Amino acid sequence: MRRLRFRLPWRRPGQIGHDVDDELRFHLESRAAELVAAGLPPEGARAQAEREFGDVGDARAYMNAVDRDAERRRRRRDYMDDLKQDIAYAFRMLRSAPAFTAAALVTLALGIGANTAIFSVVNGVLLKPLPFPEPDRLVRLWLANPKTGERRSMVSAVDVDDWRDQRQAFADIGGYFYMDGLSGSDLTGSGDPERVSIAYFSPGFFATMGVAPLAGRPPRDDEAVRGGHDHVVTLSYGFWQRRFGGSRSVIDSTITLGSEPYQVIGVMPAGFSFPDPRAEAWVPYSSIPDASIPRLRQVATMVVVGRLKPGLTAAQGLADLDVITARLAQQYPQSNASWGAGALVPLQESITGAVSGSLYVLLAAVAFLMLMACVNVASLLLARATAREREIAVRMAMGAGRGRIVRQLVTESLVLAVLGGAVGVVLARAGLSGLLDMTAGQVPRVNEVRLDWQVLAFAVALSLATGVLFGLVPALRATTGRLHESIRAGGRGSVGGRSRLRTALVVTQVALATVLVVGAGLMTKSFVRLLDVDAGFDPGQRVAVMFTINTTRHPRYQQLYRDVIDKVRTVPGVIEAAAVRDAPFRGAGENWSFAPPGWIDAPGKRLPAADVNFISDGYLHTIGARMVAGREFGHDELLDSSAVPVVVNEALARRWLPAGRAVGSELRIGAGRARVIGVVADIHQTALEKPPEPAIYVDNMMQSRVKTTVIARVTGDPMAAARAIRAAIWSLDRDMPISDIFTLDRAMSDAAARPRLLTVLLGAFGVLGLVLGAVGIYGVLAFLVSRRRREIGVRLALGAAPGSVNRMIVGRGLALASGGIGIGVVAALALGQFMQGVLYGVTPRDPATLAGVVAVLAAAAWFASWLPARRASRVDPAVALRAE
Amino acid sequence: MTDQPMDLLRGTLDVLILRTLAWGPMHGYAVSRWIRDRTGGTLSIEDAPLYKALHRLEHDGAITAEWGTSENNRRARYYALTAQGRRALRAEEAAWRRYADAVFKVLEPA
Repeated sequence: MRRLRFRLPWRRPGQIGHDVDDELRFHLESRAAELVAAGLPPEGARAQAEREFGDVGDARAYMNAVDRDAERRRRRRDYMDDLKQDIAYAFRMLRSAPAFTAAALVTLALGIGANTAIFSVVNGVLLKPLPFPEPDRLVRLWLANPKTGERRSMVSAVDVDDWRDQRQAFADIGGYFYMDGLSGSDLTGSGDPERVSIAYFSPGFFATMGVAPLAGRPPRDDEAVRGGHDHVVTLSYGFWQRRFGGSRSVIDSTITLGSEPYQVIGVMPAGFSFPDPRAEAWVPYSSIPDASIPRLRQVATMVVVGRLKPGLTAAQGLADLDVITARLAQQYPQSNASWGAGALVPLQESITGAVSGSLYVLLAAVAFLMLMACVNVASLLLARATAREREIAVRMAMGAGRGRIVRQLVTESLVLAVLGGAVGVVLARAGLSGLLDMTAGQVPRVNEVRLDWQVLAFAVALSLATGVLFGLVPALRATTGRLHESIRAGGRGSVGGRSRLRTALVVTQVALATVLVVGAGLMTKSFVRLLDVDAGFDPGQRVAVMFTINTTRHPRYQQLYRDVIDKVRTVPGVIEAAAVRDAPFRGAGENWSFAPPGWIDAPGKRLPAADVNFISDGYLHTIGARMVAGREFGHDELLDSSAVPVVVNEALARRWLPAGRAVGSELRIGAGRARVIGVVADIHQTALEKPPEPAIYVDNMMQSRVKTTVIARVTGDPMAAARAIRAAIWSLDRDMPISDIFTLDRAMSDAAARPRLLTVLLGAFGVLGLVLGAVGIYGVLAFLVSRRRREIGVRLALGAAPGSVNRMIVGRGLALASGGIGIGVVAALALGQFMQGVLYGVTPRDPATLAGVVAVLAAAAWFASWLPARRASRVDPAVALRAE
Repeated sequence: MTDQPMDLLRGTLDVLILRTLAWGPMHGYAVSRWIRDRTGGTLSIEDAPLYKALHRLEHDGAITAEWGTSENNRRARYYALTAQGRRALRAEEAAWRRYADAVFKVLEPA
């Protein structure tokens, strides 16, 4: 049993001063009176009393100060006591209503958990600064050509070095060349041969990033130039651990990359994953031989990063770049005319810009879900407040202040919210790992996502905010002064205002649900559209095996190529097989310039470019691509002495070749000529949502690349066939590095992974929203029915048909829902533009989707109303009338 | 001993107040009178430090204060010992007795 502490009323500072004066006056007057009684004259007595007292002013000041401090401490103590008492009371109340507590906790935990998980991703990817020193000074620099409309073009390695030499506004500038799965080299020597993913950099790259190596030293400027000792390699932490067991002795040792010796000079720290987490090593760009990528101003392969000087703005940087590019255009008109400064994009934005739209859409959706959860708990609390009306009225009648009761009710909500938040964080932890698995490779910086203190602070703040949000209104409601009616009516009166509030809450909830379901609907439709895109090939029952041919051991690698394809074609289960450099969704080939028929050169006019892929005979047939005109390469393509045969895609033919006469027309590629022997329907090589670029296919018997993918159409289990194919390849060369095995189905599904992720998450939020909305309608109507039991009983007793009662209740539910749906549709239309960026092939105001959503919500509302309505129509008049 | 009143040793006043209030709640003036009467004017105690001590003790939780009505029907602030104050008084008293014993042992010839 708790002992109630007697509590003094609090005193204000003015009151304290007054009390001190009173006390002092009482003392002095009492003493003076005593002295007068002993025979002193009144004035003398007064003076004597003051003399005996000492310094009255000093005492007064001291007493005031001490009392004020005591008062402050007392208030604090009282407050803590109240809080402790309120929390204990809250726990008691929550235990006494387990159904309510469970419902509220589940709602809150889901809401807070979902928000915390999504927020941790947004925080890690978008909000946290990049893991480089002073990351806000880092920018990406692009070229632009107003004549051709190109706004963000890459830069040639020669130009990057000139930019660096002439820079004024930048502390440093550096470029890099990295293409996933393309830029790299074969590591041979000790251990298994393997393909190493490499980022090639120009001088200034490491100084720009500003990150020091974990071990060893950064490359010197003179090591990253032609003619310097540029065979140096810096390892990534992950690669160093995996390949060299994290041994320091690897530094200064020599490894063999692409058959040439490279000196290991350093290892970068674990957090350094620029330009890509998959990059395993950094090597000077100058070490790339001209035979691979010619070092010319026309060959733009580099992405450029710069570090602005302290205090300078991006605008000043852009002005500097303008000056430099103008100077270069004048100096080298052949290559640089009409190429000017394009854009200066903050590095953070350029890394995460592509996904920020999706993430913010998710964050918004999850915030809506949180609002719904709040509204849901608020209406639960409101329903409970009705049940507790008598308790509250009695406490108020016994003298508890309204503020005190509101505080106690809000404490209850806060306890609920904090408990919900705790469970929510546990859910978020579990959900986050699932979310990260789903986003792997789709979202940059995912490796930086953590459930850290910032996220926990967010979860705590969210819990407290929701606690106040959903607790305050019902608490204020519950304590509005209708004391007498409440007590007199035995807790059944005065529901009018409250039911209006509940109605408003339900309408809000349905509106929120509508917005969520519209989002889910649009995303689903967009995703279906995306899956409907004709990829240009048939991914079913196709497996791909990727390997690289070691040209040192196989100088006549074309023969090996031929042998591999022939061998694979004999593997049991393989129906047909062919080879390609870049399989669909695993690279776009090489970007080559070409001159279409009738091209006339002019200064500043750049040749159009096409994605060039190297394919074997039968490749297009094997992947199920459709020939529009002509044919693909045969087994022994006869080499016409005058021109190389090529196949082009429709995108190239439509744009650059004479209509209807594409086959037979000639292209100029470099110094050589190519004759089009066939046109193939566009094959998506990169993203499904982007229209395919012009593409040229070259027979790999004439020109080929070490990177090869064998693709086979198989019967039975594709992966079993893939293993047999791998065995066949190894039977020709046991040391052939096989880098990947996958089905085209998987490649296709990876390509749709990001939209799928968004669809799944928004879909889940939509369903949750729908359920919460339906529960809200159900709750209000169930409450309505229980309150109007008597009235319904009377109606039924007077001969009303159960059907009409049913219709009345359902009508009320649909009326509530239609208000909410209406508001929701308007809100969804207003918010639609924010989804524009993540949608494919559907507008945010798609009428079919909106109509569908309205139908779904109306159906849910009807169902939610039908349950209580059925109960109402089954009311037994006799029981209902006797009940009260 | 001289006729001059002695200065109070530090901390003495607190013990005297607590001891006085151990008899029952009283207002500041009564505490002042009580100590003056008991010591027969040996100790020079001004009222200002007495009141300061009363409020400090209240702040520290050794005593509580409450407004009441005095013998002559006036509003007066009554001080009462708390449980904590009673514990403090016992501890201080014991310390004082030990202190006084020690001093006496030195002063009185063996």
